[in-house]
Amino acid sequence: MKAAGLSLDVRRELCVICGEEQVRERDGGPIVVLPASAEEVAAVLRLANECRLRLSPAGSDTAINPSGKQPDVVLNTTRLTEVEHYDHADLTVGIGAGTTVARLQALVGAEHLLFAADPALPDRCTVGGLLATASHGPLRHGYGGVRDYCIGIRFVTGGARRAKGGGRVVKNVAGYDLMKLLIGSYGTLAVITSASFKLFPAPRETKTFLTEFSGAAEALRFRDQLMRSPLSPMCLELVSPGARKLMRPEMAGDAWVIGVRAAGSDAVQARYRKELGSAVTRELEGDKERIMWRAIEDFPAACGQMSKDERRKEGARNVCIQISVPPSDVLRIINLLNTPDDRKNVSVGFIGRVGVGHVLAVIQISSEEREPLRLVDNLRREFKDNLSVKLDSASKPWPIPPANLTAMRAVKQALDPGNVLCGREIF
Amino acid sequence: MHFPRVVDQLRKIAGRDAVLDRPEDLMLYEYDAGVRKCTPAAVVFPQNTQHVSAILRLASAAGFPVVARGAGTGLSGGAIAPKGGVVLAFARMNRILEVDAGNMRAVVQPGVVNQQLSDCVAHLGLYFAPDPSSQKACTIGGNVAENSGGPHTLAYGVTVNHVSGLTVVMPAGEVVRFGGKAAESDGFDLTGFFVGSEGTLGVVTEITVRLLRRPERIATLLAIFETVDDGARTVSAITAAGITPAALEMLDGWTLRAVEAACQAGYPLDAGAVLLIELEGLTEQVEEQAEAVRKVALEQKAREVRRAKDEIERGLLWKGRKNAFAALGRLAPSYYSQDGVVPRTKIPAALQFIGLVGKKYGLRIGNIFHAGDGNLHPLILFDPRNPAQLELVQAAGAEILEWCVSAGGSITGEHGIGLEKRDLMPLLFTDDDLDVMLSLHNAFNAAGTLNPGKLFPTARMCRETTGPSANPVLSSEGM
Repeated sequence: MKAAGLSLDVRRELCVICGEEQVRERDGGPIVVLPASAEEVAAVLRLANECRLRLSPAGSDTAINPSGKQPDVVLNTTRLTEVEHYDHADLTVGIGAGTTVARLQALVGAEHLLFAADPALPDRCTVGGLLATASHGPLRHGYGGVRDYCIGIRFVTGGARRAKGGGRVVKNVAGYDLMKLLIGSYGTLAVITSASFKLFPAPRETKTFLTEFSGAAEALRFRDQLMRSPLSPMCLELVSPGARKLMRPEMAGDAWVIGVRAAGSDAVQARYRKELGSAVTRELEGDKERIMWRAIEDFPAACGQMSKDERRKEGARNVCIQISVPPSDVLRIINLLNTPDDRKNVSVGFIGRVGVGHVLAVIQISSEEREPLRLVDNLRREFKDNLSVKLDSASKPWPIPPANLTAMRAVKQALDPGNVLCGREIF
Repeated sequence: MHFPRVVDQLRKIAGRDAVLDRPEDLMLYEYDAGVRKCTPAAVVFPQNTQHVSAILRLASAAGFPVVARGAGTGLSGGAIAPKGGVVLAFARMNRILEVDAGNMRAVVQPGVVNQQLSDCVAHLGLYFAPDPSSQKACTIGGNVAENSGGPHTLAYGVTVNHVSGLTVVMPAGEVVRFGGKAAESDGFDLTGFFVGSEGTLGVVTEITVRLLRRPERIATLLAIFETVDDGARTVSAITAAGITPAALEMLDGWTLRAVEAACQAGYPLDAGAVLLIELEGLTEQVEEQAEAVRKVALEQKAREVRRAKDEIERGLLWKGRKNAFAALGRLAPSYYSQDGVVPRTKIPAALQFIGLVGKKYGLRIGNIFHAGDGNLHPLILFDPRNPAQLELVQAAGAEILEWCVSAGGSITGEHGIGLEKRDLMPLLFTDDDLDVMLSLHNAFNAAGTLNPGKLFPTARMCRETTGPSANPVLSSEGM
């Protein structure tokens, strides 16, 4: 059997594995298969290896850019939604990779617990997609990334082997840390079928303090003061004037904003008020607070949509770039992207967890195909090892080959020797 | 290559005074803080990454095994070389290369002692969070290899949560760099993957660590209970009240009396158990939490909840905890420390089971452990001069770990697998799980030059890798 123009045999086999109604074809697109268990995922991968099919795992496509190279089969994980364990007194949960983040948040929220991931579009974003893309939202500042609280992972390798790493207790160093390897691997090594997480007590009261500044430098000086203070907010987010406009018309304004979200009693909030001082221009709580943070969480998705719309226009397009640098380099990044030497590119907006050195930038660039890569290449030359860059295309996760490509290839060969899973271009 | 020639080559690489091969010197490197022993063929002290690279090139060509070693404080036999193996001792790569206070990072060599880093950055209001009990001696390289924890990992996580970059020498001598000072890196998270790989994938020669800001206020409470059960129930009750202490440690009555006799930490001699609870953060937050914890503990039948009134009292309470293992030396010539983990709600049942195991084998077992994250440390006292007793102790330890796994837990929370628990790995992992791990091992260390015989069950390693043990020269050296 050959991959191109999938044969009837392949389709028939997929139907045998998952059931006829779970194998769907789009006009001119790949076959979409929806397995209901890890066993079925393994069977699909075995078939993919036998038939040399190109397979791409997907949750709800919240991070996939359709402009990427098309696979033969999309393995949709959204039927993998079983709760494997939920031990609320132990603050742990294990759940199928196809569960949406919103559903998981609601499940644990009922017991006043917090699943500390707040990616864009939580109603659609799946747990598996969250892990595969290592996505994060504003809670990244106070709770760390999913790398810090994923305690176990079950998966099927590209070579169709069902396996796991970690377990369901919060402290566990037995065996290799396969969670770290799969988180952020963009589905290039294995299909994640379920994962276990450490949960946190949900804060009973929160308040957001908004501070405003005339420029990025001033805002980041305030960030530095805050980082040296005894305060430890849940969220610390920079929002540029351009980003405010993009997020919601009512949030538009000329100032650079730093939002500081604090959990705790009235006494704790009073202390935040005192420490933050006259920089605070507004305080938000309740629905207004929730709406603001939701807009920040969804900003990458809004940019993604905008990118697609802009592609239709002539001459220029918007791209989203996610950058991680040491916090002291955030200003340099913003300045570089704000004033490109050739004036070809124009920054549109920035947000970022600037306390941990994260920046998400929307840049208007020339519509030339290689322009985003040129931009990334320049940043890489400037910042060397101390930089991570993601473009808005999850189907091509590493815009330019990472420095440790040889080691990555060794890992890829170990887990996906048939090169069945997506991302094969860089390997 | 004949082994004396290997020693000559090692001296050429690292210097004449940087290689030990006399039996009386090698004896000092035949053990760690666990119960296994094996004398290495030589010990070499590299002084830089290039030395490590040249040594690994030599090892790869000559086919002798290499085992990296920090301070030898590990508890799972991870730093013990097999016969014919060379110990790569990092005592001379002990420099703090850079402190970047603005970015809360430091770059260190692997031989830097854990506590020294925190001492070095204390004037900046910063510290390195992982704090194993051996932190005054253990090295950060060892912490990275074993993914070490400590009491305060309850709030701050284990070593991997505090490492953002590594320089690694691969088995054939190639020097690679994973990550850097940024919180995230491009490509696979190989930094995270290599941390905790127990020296089986590569040798780390530089580590970029994350530093934390010292909290404004610390409250250290000692909750005193009549029974272990009451103490154990309080652990879950504190969590259920929405409080995550920075540390939550438990000592049973028998252990605390031994500790008190040795350290005079201020523990009550007539208690059934104590919880040592530390809260850190903003003053207002800590004061509220301290009051909430006191209430919860009293509701769970604490006899009394004391609070350290100053840094001296706090230091004493922690001195008792951190020196507890050594204090038990007053009661028996040696001890065997286990490292099982259970979900924290299973702590009362786990302690009951440990009591039954002690009775079954006629062994004294003390409990001093990280209760907040369910990481048990049953300390089984024994006399190593009695080989039959050592076997009993290991059987008792294995039985406890089997119970931990059956309760949904793990066989190690922070000590690593090493030699000690390699044959218990199938309790946790299926053949497929182990095959996947082994395929990754072989992707980097197919010849098995680096730290052979660790982490994987013995039978599996013999079957599926062709390590140096197959080398005829080394076999004649007694491997």
